[in-house]
Amino acid sequence: MYDIRLENVTKEFDNFTAVDDITFTIPKSSVTVLLGPSGCGKTTLMRMIAGLETPTRGRIFFGEHDVTDVPTRRRNIGMVFQYPVIYRGTSVRKNLELPLLSEKLSKDELDKRVDEVAEILDLTSVLKRRVEELDNGTRQKIAVGREVARQPRIILFDEPITNIDLTSKMELKRSMKELFSRLKQTIVYVTHDQTEAMTLADQIALMQDGVITQSDSPKVIYENPNSQFAGWFLGNPGMNFVPSEFVSVAGTKITSPLFTQTIDLGSKATSVDILGVRAEGISVSISQVAGACAATVTRKSIGAGGQYLLDLTVGGLLVKARVSHSIGREAKDTVWTSIASENITFFDSSGKALSSEIKVK
Amino acid sequence: MSDVTFKPKRKSGPIKFATIGAWLISLLFFLPIAWIVSTALKPKGSIVVSPPVFFFRPTFDNIIEALSFDNTLDYFTHSVIYSFGSVSLAILVSYLAAYSFSRFKPAGTDFLMFLLLSTRFVPAAAFVIPYFQLFNLLRLKDTYIGLIAFYTMFAIPFSVWILKGFLDGVSQRFDETGLVYGASRFHIMFKVILPQVKPGLVAAFVFNILFVWNEFLYNFQLGGAKTYGIPVGLFTGSTKGGGIDWAYVASIGTLYVLPLVVVIYVFQKYLLVGLTFGTVRGEV
Repeated sequence: MYDIRLENVTKEFDNFTAVDDITFTIPKSSVTVLLGPSGCGKTTLMRMIAGLETPTRGRIFFGEHDVTDVPTRRRNIGMVFQYPVIYRGTSVRKNLELPLLSEKLSKDELDKRVDEVAEILDLTSVLKRRVEELDNGTRQKIAVGREVARQPRIILFDEPITNIDLTSKMELKRSMKELFSRLKQTIVYVTHDQTEAMTLADQIALMQDGVITQSDSPKVIYENPNSQFAGWFLGNPGMNFVPSEFVSVAGTKITSPLFTQTIDLGSKATSVDILGVRAEGISVSISQVAGACAATVTRKSIGAGGQYLLDLTVGGLLVKARVSHSIGREAKDTVWTSIASENITFFDSSGKALSSEIKVK
Repeated sequence: MSDVTFKPKRKSGPIKFATIGAWLISLLFFLPIAWIVSTALKPKGSIVVSPPVFFFRPTFDNIIEALSFDNTLDYFTHSVIYSFGSVSLAILVSYLAAYSFSRFKPAGTDFLMFLLLSTRFVPAAAFVIPYFQLFNLLRLKDTYIGLIAFYTMFAIPFSVWILKGFLDGVSQRFDETGLVYGASRFHIMFKVILPQVKPGLVAAFVFNILFVWNEFLYNFQLGGAKTYGIPVGLFTGSTKGGGIDWAYVASIGTLYVLPLVVVIYVFQKYLLVGLTFGTVRGEV
């Protein structure tokens, strides 16, 4: 299998830079999710890997081969599009085996490959059905299966489950997870949906304005965002931020209306400008406890798994906290909040995280 | 929003009335054809009589006689060769052009498309003399190559317009999936995309064949004894004996519409889709 190396890859359209000088390696035999908001350049980057767009500058390598000028049809890749491409008027089996027919496989090998992917994707029962009878979720499964059956070295997924209804989406996500764990190919998956990224990725490459701002495993990128953007984009809700007017730095110590303790950050404290804390990093109690701040509940909503999401005002600051069902149910008017120091992420004035440079003492 | 009221289901009365009206109007349009066909089948003596004869014993004598005239069969052969030849060629060329316009969007696509259609703005008769001289000069007069080239040129603009509309309706991801699978552009154009624009091809084919099949002026001027088609044959043949030979006109006229009736009948289901081209299609 190949890794995919991008060297100074840039793509400019008329007067807009979609991808801005990206140098990055997508590791082989793993799932890399390009995640970012609409228009961040993730799809353009993937289309350049596929050869459907030509980079304005920079080179693309598959392993040791420079493929920048190799046409799409010689790149030996698979690609699943946002809208499933299916061939109407034929059966599911025919759809799966169509691209294989030109490879002159034996009948046994052909059937084996088709049956294998059908089994993984749970399509065995519909193999004989005609594709137009099936819903969009199943059609997309067919499109996925067709790529997998071809066994290319690299498979690209361009928001494959964005346009699928919610129920099928959950199922498709599960099938993909199962599928990815069995595949040895290098997989690149583009999405703007963070739950998809969290579920499927071995590593997430977070993109913003044409550059990759952070790339790490889902766990690391969630727990240690390297920028305010990463903190805000990942997580639902995104990270709470304490703007600089609510952060007081005195020497090496930092205080804020959000917590009662004073945090000692050593010499780097002066560069701290903004604080971040995740909704689940705020502990809430109904009765007053030592070291907690009084907070007013302005809104309650119930979320997945019965957890509550509370909108709280603490010392003039609006934050969101995620709490257990029992606390959420009892919470009204005033509650008490505290934040453990290790749950706080520190950012400088440009929004860059300082976690690697400073340690809480 | 105001209150929503549900309209009661419409009674069938007015609909039936409208249906009958539509049928009557259609029949009115059909009268000339009915006249031609019935005249062709009438015995010689009851064609031009007053009052007209509505009931008669059909006979094929007129048709057989018309076919036995010197050049009648040749005219048919000529018409079929240059009509189907030029339109088929035009559709092929137009498909390639429309694909390129739709997929590669060369600079100035919109203007080029306009320019293409603008060749049809001017009345055809304005160019008869220049073409006559040009064809004489190039020794193309009275040749199939000349006529087919001319009619092909005439059929291309409209075909490109129709086909581009259809191709724009076929998502590029079909092309891209093909590329990813290692297909060549030609394979994608003819094996993947072409089947999806069949209604467009049929519509372009039928509209243009109607035009070329019925064209008289240029066939008369640029053709000759070796390439005159039925319209010219009808014109010269009908006045051969001095007056107008209605039996000949009706017989040839009847045979003349038959191929088109067959073509349109066969392609009807595609044609209906073809006539509604340009309607917005969502991604599926």
